[in-house]
Amino acid sequence: MSIKKTSLFGTATTAVLAVTLTACGGGSGGTGASGGSYDKDATVNIGSLYEPQNLDNTAGGGQGVTEALNGNVYEGLFRLTDDGKIEKLLAQDYKVSGDGLTYTFTLRDGVKFHSGKTLTSEDVKYSLEKVLAEDSQSARKSNLEVVKDIATPDARTVKVTLSQKSISFVYNLSYVWIINSEAKNLKTTEDGTGPYELNKWTRGSALSLDRFSGYWGDAAANKQVVFHYYKDATALNNALLTNAVDVVTSEQSPDALDQFKNNQNYKVNDGNSTTKLLLAFNDRAKPFTDVKVRQAVSSAIDDKKLLESVWGGYGKLIGSMVPPTDPWYEDLTGVNAYDVARAKKLLKEAGYEDGFTFTLDTPNYDPHPTAATFIKSQLAKVGITVKINTITADEWYTKVYKNRDFTATLQEHVNDRDLVWYGNPDFYWGYDNKQVTKWVEQAEQASSTAEQTELLKKVNRKTAEDAASDWLYLYPQIVVANSKLSGYPLNGLNSQFFAYDIKKEG
Amino acid sequence: MTQTLRTSSEAPQAAPAKRRGRRSATLITGCVLSGLIFLLALVSLVWTPYASDDTSGGRLTGPGAGHLLGTDKLGRDLFTQLMTGSRIAVEAGLGSVLIAAVAGVTLGVLAAFAQGWLDDTLSAFLDILIAFPTLLLAMLIVAARSATLGSAVLAIGLAQSAVVARVVRILVKRVLAQDYITAARTSGTSWPWIVAGHVLPNIWPTLVVNLALQFGLAVLAEAGLSYLGLGAPPPNASWGRMLQEAQATFTTAPAGALAPGVLLVLLVIGVNLVADGLRDTLDPATRRRRS
Repeated sequence: MSIKKTSLFGTATTAVLAVTLTACGGGSGGTGASGGSYDKDATVNIGSLYEPQNLDNTAGGGQGVTEALNGNVYEGLFRLTDDGKIEKLLAQDYKVSGDGLTYTFTLRDGVKFHSGKTLTSEDVKYSLEKVLAEDSQSARKSNLEVVKDIATPDARTVKVTLSQKSISFVYNLSYVWIINSEAKNLKTTEDGTGPYELNKWTRGSALSLDRFSGYWGDAAANKQVVFHYYKDATALNNALLTNAVDVVTSEQSPDALDQFKNNQNYKVNDGNSTTKLLLAFNDRAKPFTDVKVRQAVSSAIDDKKLLESVWGGYGKLIGSMVPPTDPWYEDLTGVNAYDVARAKKLLKEAGYEDGFTFTLDTPNYDPHPTAATFIKSQLAKVGITVKINTITADEWYTKVYKNRDFTATLQEHVNDRDLVWYGNPDFYWGYDNKQVTKWVEQAEQASSTAEQTELLKKVNRKTAEDAASDWLYLYPQIVVANSKLSGYPLNGLNSQFFAYDIKKEG
Repeated sequence: MTQTLRTSSEAPQAAPAKRRGRRSATLITGCVLSGLIFLLALVSLVWTPYASDDTSGGRLTGPGAGHLLGTDKLGRDLFTQLMTGSRIAVEAGLGSVLIAAVAGVTLGVLAAFAQGWLDDTLSAFLDILIAFPTLLLAMLIVAARSATLGSAVLAIGLAQSAVVARVVRILVKRVLAQDYITAARTSGTSWPWIVAGHVLPNIWPTLVVNLALQFGLAVLAEAGLSYLGLGAPPPNASWGRMLQEAQATFTTAPAGALAPGVLLVLLVIGVNLVADGLRDTLDPATRRRRS
């Protein structure tokens, strides 16, 4: 999943994952069974494939930054709970004005940064401005551009004025880290308010976090966590087998799992993810300007077999951009489902009875080449010839994402709630439907979540019927851990891994 | 015939029979090993057990009746892919060696004939080309032309042509220092004739051995590039790509990685043995030393 390391989809998602993370601080917790005694001073070793490039989430540090630091070292005003709802974290309370344009936040009292300084409204202002700054590489920067003004009437009050209504504003705040405004060298050091402080980061190898004694909430259930970074999945699995690590944040191949499944010393957890594999058409480019052609291609590909090939028995089928954990989810797997006869009929209606040829820009890392091979073989059956053009992640970013110089491409999209991108006709896939754009705008300015959900459900259905893209499948989220461990996050993205509830049997 | 060849042609007679036997054993083993793969590659042109894009098999079925070596993740027949892979390996080897031979011999002969600054410049250029990492060259070519087998072959061929050119330059220089060349020159033979009539006949045994070794290296290099995604694009079944794809499933379905690995080793050992055998048979220098 290297695109997550390099492109915006990765850095973007991260903090946003709404799914099932254990509640932090005072929250109850987590997963795993063992309710027995645990070692309060244990060191938990976490194995991961995603080392941060730097420790700053506005400087393109990659998904590893979020995985290690989000919720552990840095906290936001809000966080997302297990069921995708927003929960107050550093904000004790907040009020929204009648016109929905002014948000007044009251900060929690007695919160201290790791440096010892007390949290004030100035720090919140600084942190928000940092995300919005010119040089900020935060992928969700654009979502926060509705912020017009940030005022700090007193040390515990922040008043934010928006230029237009934004129902996702509070949700968006859940991935804005609150950082000490006086902190320096944020790429290599930190100053957050989380339950852990940075002990040491050995580049290329490990990052260790120590329990912060001055934490405002309940102290972490372990004394230290160490993220160990590996370059390949096999080495990572071997580390787990030899007890060098206690848990692997996200398994990337189903075939390595048998060795853990049949071993009572390990537990394999199959959770939910929000990562979708897309066959993204360029809806501006012929022949994919024609809805019927897109529908035909979607119907000609047996997603179920592809999922089975790549992930064995894991993962789920989806019929649209919306994963089951988004509030506006509907099961649309029946729309443009696998049906070769229908595909042929649609192609005939579109005037492509003899098929056509197109180039599929395919990132050169798993699972894209496998998926491309499969798609080529499937589409050959309805007379469509696929030319596979393998490209690197960087090339994808330049050629496809920025220059839109493509006909169709494969890409994994890791964000939750990213359906709204279909409302932007300038997005790389170029889906341009005035009605959908309007619905998305209305949804963002809705006055209730019910209204927002209702509108986005319409968007969901319309984009699915239009086969705006072909959503091949939803990735599984597989966490493998030593059976002595409990309380680790089960679901969610690999880019978020709250460690404070992890208990290790003594 | 030239003097060198005449002396050497007498040498084999002096060699003990035992040695000659061992020599031909090397050559025969090499020919059998590489011949098998070449045969596989040839047959794949007209027949494979399944179509290369046939995904009707199960996921990672082990070796069995329906599929001789089993299937890959997508349900494609492994043996079919191996056959296609052998064709790509042979194509890559032959293509690279052809580029290396044409460009390398031309450059090498030029450098040998050149005098003064031209010789220095050409030699420096060859040294730089040799020092330039093949992988980087491949990445540049792929960036310019997109990832295809052709790009990989071009990169490998260019990198190898420098090696070949350097060998050729030294060999040619050695020949040019011989008295019979001076004799030919004084008798008014033109340079092209000297190259065709005296130089090439004298260097070809060593050259052929060198090219055979380069063939093995080219096959390995192509597998390496394909492993990295810089070679033949999917769905072409290059052995390197097969190894890469099978890596994650090695513990559950080892055949997927073992089979291309073994064939790769066999082919490279095969051509190296052929090169060894050829050297023993053809190269006058070794023959003289051995006798």
